[in-house]
Amino acid sequence: MSILTEKAWSPYVAGAVIGLLQIPTFLLMDTALGASSSFVTVGAHLAAFVDPGVEKIKYFTSHMWGAKNWWQVAVVIGIAIGAFLSMRLSGARRPTISAVWPRAMGTTSLWTRAPVAFLGGFIMLLGARIAGGCTSGHGISGIAQLSVGSTVAVAAMFAGGILTAMLLRRV
Amino acid sequence: MSVLSGILIGLLTGIVFGFALEKSRVFEPGVIIGQMQLKTFIMLKVFLAAVITGLVALAVLNGVFGVKLSLKPLLWKADIIGGLILGVGIVIAGACPGTSLAQAGAGYRDALFVVAGGIAGAIAYGYNDAAITAFFAETGGKVGFDQLVGLPFWMVALALAAVLAIFLVVLERLTSWREEIGKDLDGLTEPGPGSTGALQGREARPVH
Repeated sequence: MSILTEKAWSPYVAGAVIGLLQIPTFLLMDTALGASSSFVTVGAHLAAFVDPGVEKIKYFTSHMWGAKNWWQVAVVIGIAIGAFLSMRLSGARRPTISAVWPRAMGTTSLWTRAPVAFLGGFIMLLGARIAGGCTSGHGISGIAQLSVGSTVAVAAMFAGGILTAMLLRRV
Repeated sequence: MSVLSGILIGLLTGIVFGFALEKSRVFEPGVIIGQMQLKTFIMLKVFLAAVITGLVALAVLNGVFGVKLSLKPLLWKADIIGGLILGVGIVIAGACPGTSLAQAGAGYRDALFVVAGGIAGAIAYGYNDAAITAFFAETGGKVGFDQLVGLPFWMVALALAAVLAIFLVVLERLTSWREEIGKDLDGLTEPGPGSTGALQGREARPVH
């Protein structure tokens, strides 16, 4: 069986592939892998449709234009395409929502899950932007650069995640 | 660098990234929550394998070819408070910012709401960035552990990579990824509500 059609790779092989992506990213883009600031780029353009004041907020304008910002938007769109291709090649189709939700939260339908998912996404990006990075930017990239701030942020992320997960039903 | 070439490089990078996220199963909400409940360790394994490879790659790029690193500044309050909030969000979303897109690509419909909520959260932060940074009122430098111990980056990076690799060997001996991944590849290792196979179709579960 071809490795492309396998349903799962060893986490060590898959993780190594992700880590190797730092090489083209540093050499071609002069930056490290990241994901969460792309949400600001897309959000700023959406907000600008209804609020011309967005153009006066430096945080928004610094994320709206230029190759690095659109590179990261392309990365996260590419992530969706890559996951779709991998799933189609292996046939590991997914149900509407993960089987973890009935267990952890008693959520059995998309429409009871949707508002919780939206809230989770909101809190996640709020935290990521306060910290200045997420599991990719602070985690995979920050620790690989021996950054003290990123290590602190990742420790806090796991602490917040573990405390919250312990409040849910055991999966 | 033109925006168009940035987008092309980003798409190619992202496709490989998303492919590896799907194959590793780390995008599964069950894997992420299983990790945070300290029940399975696939997320930590993928994460540390990516860190180790990054450490070795950057030790060579920086140590041999002089490629500049791209550290984020050390901001204690923002890193700790932001990190805690991020962790809470990751568990409720069952995703990280990057893996939410992988979930959408692999077919989980609720991931689209995570992405929409994420965009809303990013907009909410943007409007309040000035107030939040003024509240924290901190500045920080780009501090690396290599500077703290006073050794070259490549040396500390390779040493940390070796320590983390040994840790992963021990972790894998204690808990094997093939068992942690579960029958339906969703990180759920015990039968429960909703665990009938998405891949195999519905099967009768043994009654105990």
